[in-house]
Amino acid sequence: MNIENTQSQMRKGILEFCILSIIRRGEAYPSDIVEEMRSANLNILEGTLYPLLTRLKNADMLTYRWVESNSGPPRKYFSLTDKGLAFYRELETTWKELANAVDALASKTEIRAENP
Amino acid sequence: MKKIININFHSRVIPIEETAYDILRKYVDSLKKHFADEEGGDEIVNDIENRFAELFSDRLKKGATCITDADVEEIITSMGRPEDFDQDETSNKNGNSSRNSSSFAEEAAADEPRRLYRSENDKMLGGVCGGLAAYLRIDPSVVRIIYALLILGSFGTALLLYIILWIALPPKSMVTKIRKRLFRDPDHKAIGGVASGLAAYFNIEIWIPRLIFCLPLIGGVITSIFRHATWFDYEGPVFLGGFGGTLFITYIILWIVLPEAQTASDKLEMRGEKIDLESIKNTIKSDLEGFKQKATVVGEEMKVKAEEFGAEVKRKSGSLKKEISSVNIPRQGIGHAIGVLFKAFFLFITVIITFALVAALIGVIFSGGVVLPLKEYFIHGFWQNIMAWSVLLFFLILPVVGLLTWLIRRIIGARSGSNYLGYTFGSLWVIGLISLIFLMASFGRHFSTPSSLDDKIELTAPVNGRLIVKMDDSKPYYIDDSDDWMGMNWRHRGPFFGLTDDSLTLNTVRIDIIKSNDSAWHLERVRRSLGNNTAEARSLASQINFPVEQKDSVLSLSRGFAITPRQQFRNQKVLLVIEVPVGKKILMKRNLEDYKWFSINRKRWGNNGINIEWDDNDNDYANSWTPEVEYVMTENGLERTGKNFQDNNGNEEQNRNALPDSSQKKNPNGDYRYHKPKTTRNLNAPANEKNPEDKDVESTESSATLVLLTNLS
Repeated sequence: MNIENTQSQMRKGILEFCILSIIRRGEAYPSDIVEEMRSANLNILEGTLYPLLTRLKNADMLTYRWVESNSGPPRKYFSLTDKGLAFYRELETTWKELANAVDALASKTEIRAENP
Repeated sequence: MKKIININFHSRVIPIEETAYDILRKYVDSLKKHFADEEGGDEIVNDIENRFAELFSDRLKKGATCITDADVEEIITSMGRPEDFDQDETSNKNGNSSRNSSSFAEEAAADEPRRLYRSENDKMLGGVCGGLAAYLRIDPSVVRIIYALLILGSFGTALLLYIILWIALPPKSMVTKIRKRLFRDPDHKAIGGVASGLAAYFNIEIWIPRLIFCLPLIGGVITSIFRHATWFDYEGPVFLGGFGGTLFITYIILWIVLPEAQTASDKLEMRGEKIDLESIKNTIKSDLEGFKQKATVVGEEMKVKAEEFGAEVKRKSGSLKKEISSVNIPRQGIGHAIGVLFKAFFLFITVIITFALVAALIGVIFSGGVVLPLKEYFIHGFWQNIMAWSVLLFFLILPVVGLLTWLIRRIIGARSGSNYLGYTFGSLWVIGLISLIFLMASFGRHFSTPSSLDDKIELTAPVNGRLIVKMDDSKPYYIDDSDDWMGMNWRHRGPFFGLTDDSLTLNTVRIDIIKSNDSAWHLERVRRSLGNNTAEARSLASQINFPVEQKDSVLSLSRGFAITPRQQFRNQKVLLVIEVPVGKKILMKRNLEDYKWFSINRKRWGNNGINIEWDDNDNDYANSWTPEVEYVMTENGLERTGKNFQDNNGNEEQNRNALPDSSQKKNPNGDYRYHKPKTTRNLNAPANEKNPEDKDVESTESSATLVLLTNLS
């Protein structure tokens, strides 16, 4: 088994949640999202981000507006919709439960008794 | 030499090398293919292209004349290739980078030829200890602690050494390569995070080091309970006191010296986990989970970034704000040390005050418990009982319990779910307070109205003109430990003795000796009590049974009088007024001193009536008296006749049956108890045979202070 595969699967699972939690705190454009995730030591390619954002937008989780910038082309600023916020909250609960469960399992130290 | 073409890229004209354009086009085609089946694939490609355009503009603005191959490749790498998109696109990159960073560190270690530097970035004062630590490859905090102890031990010489090193060593910024460092843990801190940091380093539960630090405090509370509960002079293990001081100072030193674990890598170092991407990721995840409850430093940085998020204008002010807020609390260095000292000082004061309060409270509780048998005599009736118990439980015991509970919770690190526990305790305590007020009120009522009954008792003149007053000792009174309660002899602590189930013997008796208005002896006995109303008071007074018996020249007073629970304690007193005619003598026996709150009033206080109040003024010479000494009544009051039957200290023994002749003139300085100037007096007391050496009652202003002093000595 390829360790990288498993690792990538783990990371893929939380990606949406992370992005949503960034956008939840305020309007964001993709470049900034990448920056934030990098500073949290969670690196992501822009090429992964754009499809994801588009998917979320198509599912009505996000909405965007164009903002003119004097240095370059206009930018898309994404923000959460109500549906997106509800989605985020559910994901948050799921994440918490998951993290607790995994922590609990992984931090157990007692030896399991052998079956005769 | 390369061909440059201009392209119209998202409504911008971009000069770009032709080869670069080919690369770009291929990339975009692969994107389109990749997202062909995806809903909104067009939009995705569009967004990516837009991003490219933005980055091109940036480069051109910075002064590039055109976009080159290298530029395009660079942007493509950072954007990612389609085949990387759904894969783990970052693990390779980050694996490289982590390998890079660790190898960089190793290189850094290898290429510097093991020289001793001062650390630039790990410094509290000058970075000397940090540099030492890097050189020796041990935890800088350990180095600092050892150095602090060195300074103490060498009486400051080590400080001089530090300054020399500070000057001599060159500074160098160095990364700490230690795997496990001792930090303070800010996420789990009760006071300063020292205990939780220690727990993380040694991998033990948090409450263990916390308990160790709190041990002297708890020990102090427990010994104070013991001391009050058993009346033994239980001093407790003395070493606990000194121990507590040491621990406290240790805590403070650690608080100053140890740095706080701020970044994720710090926290990992604190726990001694491997620092690489996975563990950092996990730490971040656990941090994100606790994001809502506590704002970690990471979260704060994000917050600052969020301020910058808005429009371009806000960004300017946001960065300004960030600069201001970066002048934050110093985490290391002198400022930190001073801050810690202040905090520690306040903490110390708080602990002392709390401790004193708790000890006082415990003392009150136990003395309340001690007077429990007397309860029957004070508290009457259903309501009063309830009030009293409620006061005891809620008002007194509850705060102690609450405090202990709070302390234990802090030690364990348990988070209180809601404040309901605090509210419950608080409201119960208020109930106790209200009960106390009610109790006091109803109590006061019982002691409101006084009443006295006085009877005149006939006294026959004693044979030789001298009356001896003593307490009735015909019935032997056994003094043994059965009188003691809770290891204490009550006879010396209260105005009562002989506590049994159904009676309590009081000896609140007072004797006044005044001059008789005629030439006959008189005795007046006043019995006095308080009560709800006059009738009750009078009835209680009449129930006082205090017989006096005169046999010849001896007046025997009863040892005390009994009250029953039905009667209740209502400050019953007995006052005996003995009127002595002028020229007659009177002698008090020593056993009268067993009456508590007792004094002999030798003066009639004008016309104000007889002072029946307790007179605790032992120093009031006018009311002092000496047992076993004969006094004679003159026109001006009682005077000593100088016949010492037994001195107060039993040292000198005079002739008991000395004849009242002037050959018994006392040595003026022989009576060491009263050093008085010799005054010649003209007494018109007819029967004053002896040459009185005692002071005249009136002319004692000058010797009063002497008497006072000698009385006290």
